[in-house]
Amino acid sequence: MTPHAAAWAMLNEALAVYRDSPRATAFLRAQLARFGEPVRVAVAGAPGAGKSTVVNSLIGEEIAPVEGLVSYRDGPAPRAVVIAPPAPPQEVPIVRRDGRQRVDSGAWRSQQVERVLVDWPARSLRETSLLDTPGGASPELVFGEADAVVYLMRHMHDADLRFLQAGGDRPSVSTVVVLSRADEIGGGRIDALSSAKQIARRYRRDPQVQPLCQNVVAVAGLLAVAARTLRDAEFDAVAALAALPRTDLEEHLLSADRFVGHDFPVALAPQVRQGLLERFGIFGVRLTATLVRQGFDTRTKLVGQLVQRSGLGELRDAIGQNFTERHEVLKALSVWRALEFVLRAEPRQGARKLTADLERALASAHDLKELRLLAALQTGRTTLPGDLEAEAVRIVGGEGTDPVARLGMDFEPDERSLRLAVTDVLRRWQDQAVNPVLDTAQRAAAGVVVRSCEGMLTRLS
Amino acid sequence: MMAPPWLDVLDETIKVCVTHNRHDLELRLREKRARQLDPTVRVLVIGEAKQGKSQLVNALINAPVCAVGDDITTTVPTFVRHAETPSAALVRSASRRSAIASSPTERVPVPIDQVAQQVGHEVVRAEIGIPRALLTTGLVLIDTPGVGDLRPAHTASTFAVLVQADAVLMVSDATAELTATELELLRKVLENCPNVTVVVTKIDISPQWRQVVERNRALLARAGISAQLFPVSSALRLRAAKSGDKGLNAESGFPDLLACLQRDVVAGSDRLARRTVAAAAGSAITQLVAPLREELSAQDSRRTADTIGALHEAQRRIDELRRRSARWQTVLADEMADLVSDIEYDLRDRTRTILREVDRTFEEADPATGWDAFEQWLEDNLTEAATTNFSWLLDRAEWVAEKVARSFPVHRDDLLPPEIFPDDVLDRVNKLDRPRIESFSLPQKAFTGLRGSYGGVLMFGLVTSLAGMPLINVISLGAGALFGGKSIKDESDTRLKRRQAAARAAAQRHVDDFFLKFSKDCRDAARHVQRSLRNHFTTLAEELQETLLESARSAKRAVQDDQTERERRAREIRSDLDALVALYKRAQALGGPGLELSA
Ligand SMILES: Nc1nc2c(ncn2[C@@H]2O[C@H](COP(=O)(O)OP(=O)(O)OP(=O)(O)O)[C@@H](O)[C@H]2O)c(=O)[nH]1
Ligand SMILES: Nc1nc2c(ncn2[C@@H]2O[C@H](COP(=O)(O)OP(=O)(O)O)[C@@H](O)[C@H]2O)c(=O)[nH]1
Ligand SMILES: [Mg+2]
Ligand SMILES: [Mg+2]
Repeated sequence: MTPHAAAWAMLNEALAVYRDSPRATAFLRAQLARFGEPVRVAVAGAPGAGKSTVVNSLIGEEIAPVEGLVSYRDGPAPRAVVIAPPAPPQEVPIVRRDGRQRVDSGAWRSQQVERVLVDWPARSLRETSLLDTPGGASPELVFGEADAVVYLMRHMHDADLRFLQAGGDRPSVSTVVVLSRADEIGGGRIDALSSAKQIARRYRRDPQVQPLCQNVVAVAGLLAVAARTLRDAEFDAVAALAALPRTDLEEHLLSADRFVGHDFPVALAPQVRQGLLERFGIFGVRLTATLVRQGFDTRTKLVGQLVQRSGLGELRDAIGQNFTERHEVLKALSVWRALEFVLRAEPRQGARKLTADLERALASAHDLKELRLLAALQTGRTTLPGDLEAEAVRIVGGEGTDPVARLGMDFEPDERSLRLAVTDVLRRWQDQAVNPVLDTAQRAAAGVVVRSCEGMLTRLS
Repeated sequence: MMAPPWLDVLDETIKVCVTHNRHDLELRLREKRARQLDPTVRVLVIGEAKQGKSQLVNALINAPVCAVGDDITTTVPTFVRHAETPSAALVRSASRRSAIASSPTERVPVPIDQVAQQVGHEVVRAEIGIPRALLTTGLVLIDTPGVGDLRPAHTASTFAVLVQADAVLMVSDATAELTATELELLRKVLENCPNVTVVVTKIDISPQWRQVVERNRALLARAGISAQLFPVSSALRLRAAKSGDKGLNAESGFPDLLACLQRDVVAGSDRLARRTVAAAAGSAITQLVAPLREELSAQDSRRTADTIGALHEAQRRIDELRRRSARWQTVLADEMADLVSDIEYDLRDRTRTILREVDRTFEEADPATGWDAFEQWLEDNLTEAATTNFSWLLDRAEWVAEKVARSFPVHRDDLLPPEIFPDDVLDRVNKLDRPRIESFSLPQKAFTGLRGSYGGVLMFGLVTSLAGMPLINVISLGAGALFGGKSIKDESDTRLKRRQAAARAAAQRHVDDFFLKFSKDCRDAARHVQRSLRNHFTTLAEELQETLLESARSAKRAVQDDQTERERRAREIRSDLDALVALYKRAQALGGPGLELSA
C-alpha cells in the first residue's frame, strides 16, 4: 500500500475509533477534507519579509495584501470569506481599485479575524494552494496548517534558525528557504540579483542551514509581480526611459527620491514615475531600462527576462519538485502527524492498533525513507564514494520523481529502453548494497536506492 | 586641575558599593572610571547583519577602509583611528578561548588594502590608522560584526567591545522598520552605554524611507528610548565625495549626522562623560537600593499578607523552574549526540583521504626507499587530522553550551560556564598512550609511530583552535613526492608489488588503529564535556531554586522577627536609603533631568 492509501485508511479507522468524541471527530473530519485538497504551501517569515508579495508573484495577480492568515485556492471566480468566530463565516466583496484587486476589509475590520479564505481562478493554484501567514505566526501554526513551507528571510538570522528548528523533522522534508527581496541584498546594484543567487548557493551548503530545508533560492518578489502583471502603459514608460542615453539617465536613478524629483529629462508625469517606483522599486527601474536597452525591447521579451532574473522561475521549480510532485507523501505525512496528535491528546484503549499501525507506517514508508536519505546525503551525514553519491541523490528523487529524472536521461525513452536502464541501475546498486568496502550506513543507503529502482520497475509493469 | 564633578560622584558611588559589599558593581564602576579618564572617544557602530555598518564607517571618513559585501563580511571588530600615514594591523590572540579575558596578544602590521584578506580565525581585532580631520580629536570609530547571525562568535565579539564604547551608532537600513530583535539589541546597548544614535541607512534604495523613519521614531518612543535618529545614504555620500558634488552630499544626510557627532560626541565629551557616569552610577545605586527596600517592606508587619503572597509566588516559581528544566536537558542530550556523530564522521572522512593518498602512492613508489620520510608524512597528516578534528569538537561543544544556555528557563549573564572544557578533559587526552604500532615487515623498516603522544599536539591545537573550522581535508603534501624518482627498477616486478602491498597493509592497519583509538577518545571527551555541562547547569538550576527558597524563608523570617530589633534595623535602613537617594540625585543631576528615585 502506498503511504497515501495507508494514511487514508488510517484516517478512516481513526474516525471510527473516535466516533464518540465530537472534538476528535471534528478535527479528523477537517483532516479528511484537507487530504483531498491540493498540497497546502504556507509562505512564512518575519514581518515585512515579503510574504504577501511572493504569494502575489506565484498567483500572478497583484492582490492587495490582507492582514492575517489568508488561504488562496483555485476557484471559478474571485471570492472571499472571512472567518471571525463567534460570528458565522461571512462573504465579503472583492473590489478593483487602481488596477489592484482588493478584499474589501471595511466590513470586518473591527472583528477578531481568524482567517480569510480566498478563491481565485489561477492555474498555479490548481496543484498547490497557498497560505499567506501573518508575520508573527508560530512554527506550530505554520507547520501544523500546511503540508509544506516556503520560508522567507533576508539574511539568515538567529530567529529564523530557531523558527525552522522548532519545526522538528518537518523542515528537512518539506521546506524551501527563500532569500527574499533579493534586489536589496545587493544594495540595488545592477548585479544585485546574481549576487543574491550566489549567497543563496552558499546558504545551501551551510551546515547549519542544510538540514533545515530542501533548497535555498533568492527571489525578488516585487520584480516578479510587476513582471507578471506588466501593463502596457508601464512598458511604454520604461521604453521611454531606455530611449535616453544611459549617462543622461544615470544621475536621475541614483536614488528613489531623485527618480520622482524635479527636472526629469524624460516627459513622464511625476505620478507615472511614482507608480513605476512603487511597482518596480528603484532597482527594478534600473534593471528594466537596462534590459530594454540591451534588446529585450518587446513586452514578451522583457517579461521573460524579468521573471527569470527575479528568481521566480527557480522558486516555482523548487515548489514543483519538492512539493507538488511529492504531494502524496506530504499529505500522508500531514495525516500521520495529525493522528499522532489525536492519539496523544485523547489516548484510549481502542486506539492500540492504530498506534501500532502508525508507528509501523512512519518507520517503513519508502517515500519517507527516500526523503530522509536525500536529506542525509545533502547534509553530508551519509556520503557515498565517487559518482555514486550524485547518482543516489538522483535515483531517490533529488531532481524529480518521474523515472526519466531519476535515471538522469536526457531523452524521452520508450518503455523497453526505460526498463533496460532501470534493470541495469538496479543490478549495480544491488551490488553496492552488499559491497564490503562500504560501511553499514552506506550499505543501508544503497538498500534504499535499490528499493527506489524496484519501485520504478513495479510501476513500469 | 580640579576634578570634574562627575568624578566625585563616581568615586563616592564606588565607596558606597564597597560598604554594601557589592564588589561586582565596584569593579564595573572602576572600569568606567578608567575609561572616562582616557581622552579617546570610542564610537561603536553596531547593528544586525548587512545593515550597512561598514559602508557607514567608510562614508563617514570618505575612505574604503572597512570591507563591504553582500554576504556576511565583517568578522572582527575594526578600530579606525587617526594616523599621520595610512596603516593597518591585525591583533592576534594566542588563544581563542581567552580572547575575551586579558591574554597575550600580538600585533601584526599588514598593508591597509590587505586587511580583509588576512583576517583569519585567530584575529581578534583589526586596527586601521588614517589621516582624517574628523579623527584628530581622538575619535575612534569601531566597525563590528553583525549581531544575531548564525555565528555566535560574531555577536560575542561585538558585545565584548560594547563595554568600551563611549557612544554608539545603531545601524538599521531603511528597507524595513526596526524589528523586535533590533529593539532588543538597542535595549541591551543602552544598558552599557546611554549615548545611542540610530542611523537609518540606504535611503537611496528605499522609496518609503520617510515612512520607515517615522515608524521607527514611533517604535522608539513606545519602547521609551530617547535616541536621535538620522536617515542617510552611504552610497550617495561616497559618490558625492568622488565627484565633489555638494548637492548630492547634502542629499546623503551625512552633514547632519556629522554635525551631531561633532557636537554631542567629540566636543561634548564632558557631557558624554557626565551622562555615562550618571547612567552607570544610577544603575549601581538602584541595585543597592532594591534589597534594602525589600527588607523594609517585608519587615512591615502590616504586609504579612504580602509576605505570604511572596511565599506562594516563590513556591510557584520553584515549580515552574522544575517543569522547565526538562527542556534544557533534552537539548543537551540531543546536541551532544549529534556532535559525537558529526565528529566521528569528520574523522572518518579525514583518515579516508589519507589512506587514499597512501594507496595512490604505493601504486608507484617503492617502500624500500624513502620510508622514513613517508613515516614522517603519515605522522604529520594524522596529527593534523586529529588536531583539526579535536578543535572542531571543542568549538562545537562551546556552541552546544550556548544553545543549552539559551534554552535555560531563565536568562542571566552568567549562564555560560567559564570553562566549557573541564581541566580533566585535557588531562585525559594528554595521558593517551601513543597508539600501538605494528612493525612493518620489511627488514629494519618499521613505523616508529607517532613520536610522543598526540596529546601534546592537541594541547597546542587547542590553543590555536579555530572558530567554525571548515570541514576540509588538507593533506600537507602528496606522499608520492617523497619517493619521487627513487624507485628502483632493477628488481623483479613481483617483489616490488609484494613490498608495496605490505606497505599499504601496514599503513592501513596503523590508520585503523589510530582511528579506533582516537575516535574513542573523542567520544570520551564528549561524554566528559556533557557531564560537566550537565553538572554546571544543574548547579545553576539548584542555585536558582535555592535563591527562590531563600527569599521565601527570609520573607517568613521577616514576619517572625522581634519587633524592637525590627524597628532598629528599619531606622538603619531608612538612613542608608536616604543617603543613597541623595547620591542618586547628584548622579542624575550630572546627566540633566532624569528619573526620580524616592526612599
Ligand atoms: N544602496 C545602498 N546600499 C548600501 C548602503 N550602505 C550599504 N549598502 C550595501 O549594503 C550591503 C551591506 O553593506 P555592509 O557595509 O557590508 O554591511 P554590514 O552591516 O557592515 O555587514 P556585515 O558586516 O556583514 O554585518 C552592501 O551590498 C552595500 O553595498 C547605502 O547607503 N545605499
Ligand atoms: N525592493 C523590494 N521590495 C519588496 C520586495 N518584496 C516585498 N517588498 C516590499 O516589502 C514590503 C513588505 O512586503 P509584504 O509582501 O507586505 O511583506 P509581508 O509582511 O511579509 O507580507 C512592501 O513594502 C513591499 O513592497 C522585493 O522583492 N524587493
Ligand atoms: Mg503580508
Ligand atoms: Mg561590515
